[in-house]
Amino acid sequence: MHRLYRALLRLYPAEFRDEYGREMAQMVRDRIAREPRARLWIDLLRDLLRTAPKEHAHVLLNDVRYAVRLIRRAPMFTAAVVGTVALAIAANTAIFFSVVNAVLLRPLPFAEPGRLIQVAEKNDALGLPNFGASVLNLLSWRERARSVDALSAIGFSSFTLSGLGEPEQLSGNRVSPSLMPLLGLAPVAGRAFTPDEERPGAPPVAMIGEGLWARRFGRDPAVVGRAVTLNGLPVTIVGVAPRALNLISGGDVYVPLTIDPSKEIRLNHVIFVAGRLKPRVTIQQAQAEFDTIAQAVAAAYPEMRDWGVHLLTFFDTFVSAQLKTGLLVLLGAVAFVLLIACANIANLLLSRSASRQKEIAVRVAMGATQSRVLRQLLVESVALSAIGGAIGIVAAVWAVRAINASLPPNLLPVPAVRVDAVVLSFAAGLTLLAGLIFGIAPACYTAKTDVHDMLKHTARPAGGGSGARVRSALAAAELALATLLLVGAGLLLESFLNLQRVRLGFEPRGLLTFQLAPPTSRYPLTDKAPGFYRALLESLRAAPGVRGAAVSSGIPFGQGNYTTSPLQASGPSALPADAAVPIDWRIVSPGYFKTMSIPLLRGRDFSDAEGAGAPAVAIVSQATARKFFGDMDPIGRSLHRAADARPFAIVGVVGDVRSTTLNQESPAIYYPLSTRAWPLMDVVVRADVPPETLLPALRQKVHEIDGELPLATVRTMDEWLSASAAQPRLSATLLGAFAAVAVLIAAIGIYGVIAYSVNQRTREIGLRMALGARPGGVMRLIVKEGMIVAAAGIGAGLAAASLLGRGAARLDPMDALRCD
Amino acid sequence: MALPAAVLHILIALADGDSHGYAIMQEVAARTDGALRLGPGTLYGSLKRMLHDGLIEELDERQGAGRDDARRRYYRITPRGRKTARAEIARLAKLVRQARATTLAVKHS
Repeated sequence: MHRLYRALLRLYPAEFRDEYGREMAQMVRDRIAREPRARLWIDLLRDLLRTAPKEHAHVLLNDVRYAVRLIRRAPMFTAAVVGTVALAIAANTAIFFSVVNAVLLRPLPFAEPGRLIQVAEKNDALGLPNFGASVLNLLSWRERARSVDALSAIGFSSFTLSGLGEPEQLSGNRVSPSLMPLLGLAPVAGRAFTPDEERPGAPPVAMIGEGLWARRFGRDPAVVGRAVTLNGLPVTIVGVAPRALNLISGGDVYVPLTIDPSKEIRLNHVIFVAGRLKPRVTIQQAQAEFDTIAQAVAAAYPEMRDWGVHLLTFFDTFVSAQLKTGLLVLLGAVAFVLLIACANIANLLLSRSASRQKEIAVRVAMGATQSRVLRQLLVESVALSAIGGAIGIVAAVWAVRAINASLPPNLLPVPAVRVDAVVLSFAAGLTLLAGLIFGIAPACYTAKTDVHDMLKHTARPAGGGSGARVRSALAAAELALATLLLVGAGLLLESFLNLQRVRLGFEPRGLLTFQLAPPTSRYPLTDKAPGFYRALLESLRAAPGVRGAAVSSGIPFGQGNYTTSPLQASGPSALPADAAVPIDWRIVSPGYFKTMSIPLLRGRDFSDAEGAGAPAVAIVSQATARKFFGDMDPIGRSLHRAADARPFAIVGVVGDVRSTTLNQESPAIYYPLSTRAWPLMDVVVRADVPPETLLPALRQKVHEIDGELPLATVRTMDEWLSASAAQPRLSATLLGAFAAVAVLIAAIGIYGVIAYSVNQRTREIGLRMALGARPGGVMRLIVKEGMIVAAAGIGAGLAAASLLGRGAARLDPMDALRCD
Repeated sequence: MALPAAVLHILIALADGDSHGYAIMQEVAARTDGALRLGPGTLYGSLKRMLHDGLIEELDERQGAGRDDARRRYYRITPRGRKTARAEIARLAKLVRQARATTLAVKHS
């Protein structure tokens, strides 16, 4: 029993145990003889549990007090260390972790998001791994799939809201009534759609998004039950949808997606399908079931051969692979900066430990154990990093605000990047870890001090030779890492600048664009709409300052309809028979190519003569022509959609245009507006004057034709381009900022090494000067020393960069950092 | 600032003569009719801080020689310790007087 208590005494700090352990054990031995055992043990254990932590806290408090005193006594050293930690923590917390946390770690705002999936269609023959679904396939899946609880559809739609003053053009979604329960969302006000409202012929209802509710109705709950006019038809607002329902963009208006199987085509891949896996069903099991279903569907409907089903988790759907890669590149940069910072602080502490060896030797001589000294030194480094970390976190909060302000909306698939509890605990953990890591090496080094040596040779601290070499090597390594980062940032910046010079295939300057969506109830797409646009363009072209005007279903880099469908050649072609290629298609008005300055290479432009009844014609881009016909003359040959055999005769070939991303040319086919319009069209106007100044005149021209028609998304083409370059620009800026921080920290490091070395050599320098050395000569000596370290570091950094560069040459950094 | 109870008890136990740890513990137990038994951690933790604050002093071996157990460490109250104990006792007495003047004490008396 007595022996057991002696073992328990180990719970006290060593000093306390050494001082009083013997007495305490003796006291227990005395009490064992006189007191009942059970009661004594309870007393002893209670005493132990209460006082052991207290003694530890006292020791720690003493260490902290001592550390604070030392920190106050060396303000320059403290500033250097604290500054380094603050820079590193701020950079890491703000730029990396907030963004990564927002994008990768924070759960999606749905109930049990892990069970949510996207059901996409795929076609390996066409190279479409993740394509939209068709309504008829959705019905087949709903009928057969057992691995999912529900399947819901979302489709894009645009709406003109009128009857409430100034008409407004809004984007929205058609959604299955089952979508909100599937996602686990509830309306903010009013009610959600009922299952009956999926059937055609149900009374027209709509929900409005929270954003529109605040903007247009001042969050007035009375909006529920109100009648409004959407696309020229009366509709009742039944509820307000939460922001999270805005899954695939355009969250102003929601209407039920009605399903009328008799009007659908199985190859019409226009909807986004979301599903919820049954509990305990894995996505692999569900994929296996859907594969079987897809085979059965393909057997029943020949047009579905080659088409399959691809299930994706919501996470994969909403966080694109490219974005993930981009963030991982940033992660690398973060690790670099952290590494540099730790090396730097280790360096500063090493420099300092050399000058503290005497003090430590005195403490050891007075009876402090090695572990005690080690603990003291670690407390010091953690205290330093805690101060730095606190400053860093404050700086991070500011930086995150700045990032949010400069971030274009919709760049990241989350509402806003913010500093939350997770981010803060990450930063705090990082700070503590950094303090321990950078403190441990110098502490071990210092604690090993040989007392006798130290006390004998008080004039010069030991460890001068090898210690100085270690410190110089650390500083050089920091500089090497910083150089590497700088080279990386430079490469990114170069590719970013290259993007600015990329050949777009059209002339963006002087173009003003806006969107129109004449309600299809008044302007049927194949009937009145083409005529409306013809009249509008004529009127616009007559306005002063306008050199040209045209419409397209989707201008490059705009928000229009980016539509792709597989095409086949209707005669001899350069491709194997029956081969289909996905081609972007747009509907354009005559004069579109001239207005955009897209060169017409062969054949002719569309004319107003191509009305209903005339032979179907199309214009293709050069890349499309080459893909289908190789060196053959494409004029007069025909293409048709894989879904139907009607041929389109090619009447012209135009230059290629970069239309969705800056780093990718896409083959295209253009259909004439005169036969069919699209519900939402982009109008482009080429101006002789600054394009923004034309807006009032253009608005008036539109309203002369239809006073109810709003102009939506008014932008200059330059604005569209700059938005599309926002992500690469952000990546280049962030990496540039990282590199700057790294260089700054490395500079502090070199300063630390040189300053320390000068300090240690004061006597030597004094001697040299006494012997006649000039100040200039001494200066040269010291600068030379610094330059050797710098040159070694930069040289190593450049060598590493060129090695890495060789490996990375296959990898386009822009690809790595782009996100859609 | 109130003194920790253990500290005051130790000061009282040392007031009438030098003593060692185990004897202090027994003295305190006796004075409180066994209600307060200072555990070893509490006792030596308090002694350590009282030494640090100058409330008591430890006797060196010479002074300790001739006592009933020469192997033990003996403690003696310092003038500062007496002053502190007196101030604390006065503070407590005043507190008791104030409490007696209220209805709190009426039912018991």
